[in-house]
Amino acid sequence: MVLTHTSFRPSKGFKLAALAFAALLTACGGGKESAGDEPSVAADGRRGALAVQQPTTRADAFRLLTQATFGPTAADISRVQSIGATAWINEQLAMPAQDVHRARWLATDAEVKKTNADASAGTNDITSSIYQQGLQAQDQLRQRVKLALSEIFVVSTNELSSYRAEAAASYYDMLGRNALGNFRNLLEGVATHPAMGIYLSHMHNQPADPATGRQPDQNFAREVMQLFSIGLVQLNPDGTAKLVGGQPVATYEQDDVAGMASVFTGWSWAGPDTSKGRFFGGGGNPGYVDANRYGLPMQGYAQYHATTLKEFLGTQVAPQGTPNPGASVKVALDTLFNHPNVGPFIGRQLIQRLVTSAPSPAYVGRVAAAFDNNGKGVRGDMQAVVRAILTDAEARDPAIAGGERYGKVREPVLRLTAWLRAFNAKSDSGRVLMTPTDEASYGLNQTPLRSGSVFNFYRPGFVPPGGEADAARMTLPEMQITDEASIAGYANYMMGAVQRGVGPRGLNGMGARPDLQPNYKAEMAAAEDPRKLVNLVLPKLLPAMPSVSLQNQIVAAVQAQTIPPKRADNSNAKARENAMARRVQTAILLTLVSPEFLVQK
Amino acid sequence: MFSNASSISRRELLRRTSALAVAGPAAGGLGLNLAAMGNAAAAPATGYKALVCIFLYGGNDHYNTVLATDGSSWEAYGAERGSPAEGIALAAPGVSPSGSGTLHQRLGGVLPINPVTAQAGRSFALHPSAGALRDLFGNKRLAVVSNVGNLLGPTTKADYVNRTARRPGKLGSHNDQQSVWQSGGVEGATRGWGGRYMDLLLAGNQSAMFSAVSINGNAVWLPGKTTRAYQLAPTGPVRVGAGDGTVYGSAAVAARMQTIMQSARDNRLIEREHASVSQRSYSATAQLGGLYPAPNAGPWGSKDQAMIDPLLQYRDPVTRQNTFSPLAHQLQAVARTIAVRSALGMSRQVFFVGLGGWDTHDDMAERHAILMAQLAHGMQYFDRTLTQMGVDKDVTTFTMSEFGRALTSNGDGCDHGWGSHHFVMGGAVKGGDIYGRFPVYSSTDGQGRFLSDDLLDNGQSLPAQSVDQYAATLGSWFGVSDSDLNLVLPNLTQWQSSKRNLGFMA
Repeated sequence: MVLTHTSFRPSKGFKLAALAFAALLTACGGGKESAGDEPSVAADGRRGALAVQQPTTRADAFRLLTQATFGPTAADISRVQSIGATAWINEQLAMPAQDVHRARWLATDAEVKKTNADASAGTNDITSSIYQQGLQAQDQLRQRVKLALSEIFVVSTNELSSYRAEAAASYYDMLGRNALGNFRNLLEGVATHPAMGIYLSHMHNQPADPATGRQPDQNFAREVMQLFSIGLVQLNPDGTAKLVGGQPVATYEQDDVAGMASVFTGWSWAGPDTSKGRFFGGGGNPGYVDANRYGLPMQGYAQYHATTLKEFLGTQVAPQGTPNPGASVKVALDTLFNHPNVGPFIGRQLIQRLVTSAPSPAYVGRVAAAFDNNGKGVRGDMQAVVRAILTDAEARDPAIAGGERYGKVREPVLRLTAWLRAFNAKSDSGRVLMTPTDEASYGLNQTPLRSGSVFNFYRPGFVPPGGEADAARMTLPEMQITDEASIAGYANYMMGAVQRGVGPRGLNGMGARPDLQPNYKAEMAAAEDPRKLVNLVLPKLLPAMPSVSLQNQIVAAVQAQTIPPKRADNSNAKARENAMARRVQTAILLTLVSPEFLVQK
Repeated sequence: MFSNASSISRRELLRRTSALAVAGPAAGGLGLNLAAMGNAAAAPATGYKALVCIFLYGGNDHYNTVLATDGSSWEAYGAERGSPAEGIALAAPGVSPSGSGTLHQRLGGVLPINPVTAQAGRSFALHPSAGALRDLFGNKRLAVVSNVGNLLGPTTKADYVNRTARRPGKLGSHNDQQSVWQSGGVEGATRGWGGRYMDLLLAGNQSAMFSAVSINGNAVWLPGKTTRAYQLAPTGPVRVGAGDGTVYGSAAVAARMQTIMQSARDNRLIEREHASVSQRSYSATAQLGGLYPAPNAGPWGSKDQAMIDPLLQYRDPVTRQNTFSPLAHQLQAVARTIAVRSALGMSRQVFFVGLGGWDTHDDMAERHAILMAQLAHGMQYFDRTLTQMGVDKDVTTFTMSEFGRALTSNGDGCDHGWGSHHFVMGGAVKGGDIYGRFPVYSSTDGQGRFLSDDLLDNGQSLPAQSVDQYAATLGSWFGVSDSDLNLVLPNLTQWQSSKRNLGFMA
């Protein structure tokens, strides 16, 4: 697949700032380029990192927070403005990971079991937990990268439901631990997590058996290559496909899948022994069921590991006299990790998740270079990758962001959280409660960690048919879940959300109102003046004032919600308050359905 | 179940009348249409045809869907898949359902079918949960097309092994093979053969909007060069606003909201892309308006709420409970849309529905049985509905799936394959027969290589029929000329002209 890309060039002012910063870096001994050289797309690919001065503008702060958090808040905007993008990113990167999701799930589970020993916490608790962290956690950048990674290394509560949602919660913790660590550890965390073992069925996988004809399960073996590391075709460092005779070159063939499948034999539940009973899951025998098994990486079971020669991707694991599943997996993951495709393959997708849907090859190349070498000779440093993505000219330069093809459709979950954070939503229960919002026709057509398949809600190579993006061969992943039905479904979902709040009505579903309630106090106070109200609402949701026509449309709509004149005895106070609330809701909803909000720039 | 001749002709008359009425405003288009359609246009002057694709996402295990049950086939099958007690094999024909044991033991034997055209030395059966498909096949409402897969040209095993024929790229990749089945291209493709057929036939439609309709989200089979896909929810068109169309009690706000959703800044391509979908959403809802019939306003439903409609429930073979079928719900939306074909001025339509979960690497017995039950029920429900609507001869329903599966077992499931068997259903189908060469099963050479020329490693079926031939056979019935088929399906000309049509359509 050959896609043409818009080529982005840093604007002139931006370049000058970059140069100044480069000089500074060099002076500090931090740069590789000699002073005075024009920064180029150098081997270390760090041109973009030059850009970011402090303090920065409100618009830049807002844009950064849209790319790197679950939505800008007034406090975060001030913080970024005062310390600048780079310092804010560094501050975020320095925050340690915290395992919170499985802990919350277990607490809820214990509570549920008090009334019914056979019941368990389920999907809703991990959904709620993801929202809780997304809305409230201080380590917003890590939370946002976690969400992005969950759309590359996909498991789903569609399958990991009910009591198995504990595995999904633990998996999400694992993504968080590794989100800003090293990719090699992330890949191993993914490969050995029981949630993935269940989801892509390599848990309990056994070697070939000539007597029965049984072959190893190839499910994970295939997807760890196709989706989690190298992809299907050989890539140039800038993410474009290598062509030989005009044709892309496959990274692997069916034989490689078969070889890799043998590597992932003999993996199952963690526990104090490697008995047969534990390997197969216990069969109801509690002696074989470790209480923490959903939270621990799978372990190797030598007696169920293939000892034959395993060949894949031009490397091999020699026949093992003593079966050694750990050694086999190490060779496989090292081979994948060191494949030159990983930087551009994963880098491009992370750019798409955070910044823009159709990044230029040069941008992908700079991020891939940061993956290959963090500047200190380390490969796979996710902090370097995230920093390269967010500080690149293509992320920060407002002139580039003004380009016609720039940006991305916000994913629906992040539209919801942008609104909730902008209006400082509070949880009535104090816990943050949410339920899945899968439905296209009356939901968001998306729930975090709940894709319909391992291929995520949308594909990185999706091109929406029939329109301008098709003509330009532009990838716009989120458009894959944007259609005539889901557009109306989203508008209607937000119509209810903005009016009533979101989430279940309390822990027992019997509460007076949905759990998450936005705070419209300031807006209510301004509701009698439509222009004032709109000027209050728009900056909470957009980096800069939108087009005049959008402002005017919203003002006119607000005016259409008439407020009855105040009676002398104040007997219509309630009616007036209701009308003002409708005005506030109208201003917010119409912003949330506007293309200027829906497309992040 | 069958309408009598006089009522059919009366319906035909009504259709002709409405088709003529359509021809009025679109007269210029109709002429173009006839030209584009070439010879084929002359035959079906009767007005209406639709193709309905049921996509089985994940890769259907064709080996447990349509089974070869003759002695040598069954032996080879059992050698790879074990027994119903231990393994993923189904029970032999005639085996009574067991009161206990594994699911495959409890389901009982596979269900024999007797194709009109006998195949020497072969006998066949369907999955025990597919009783409804067995009945449709017996009543000649349903055909089996065997061993269909993506091919660039006729390919023998020797060609494949020695690479003397070009191999299609990205075999075994779900997303890419889904795309290739639908469009001939891998992920990122934007034009499918359903949409390309509609490009050629669009001029006969009064409304372009409903020419290509998905009830299952985005599917590249539907859009063409000019044809755009329209997404309908299973419940019907989704309208923005409250039940009365207002937003927060105000029609004025609703109108402003529409303007905002449909507007984008000039220099913002992605905003325009989004706004154009909003425009289509509003436009479609306005066109369908009061036309779209209620869920229980015709033979497609008996309740105003789908979730409680017994017509949309299948018998889950694991729980033995009647269970709501998302597939039947989607097919209900297709039927409701077909019901207003005349009012919308449609002469040709393509529809897409889908059912996920066929990627049965593990827990295969349960997963596959439930899916087969849901598929069989859904197809039977749809055939009955279309027959009662009097359009069963005008609507052809068929399955697609990205690939079949391997014959070998991985313990409790099986892995990705290539060729697969498919079902085609409707009054215009030459049902009750198996089309295409059915693969010969075999043992292996002891090194894991299958002796049969039809089986590759792991017992993947090397397709003997191509997706292009399958699509061409449907397209020819739909009214696409041979020359246009060769353009739409670029690999089709790799087959001799006499072999391009697989012969399952009347």
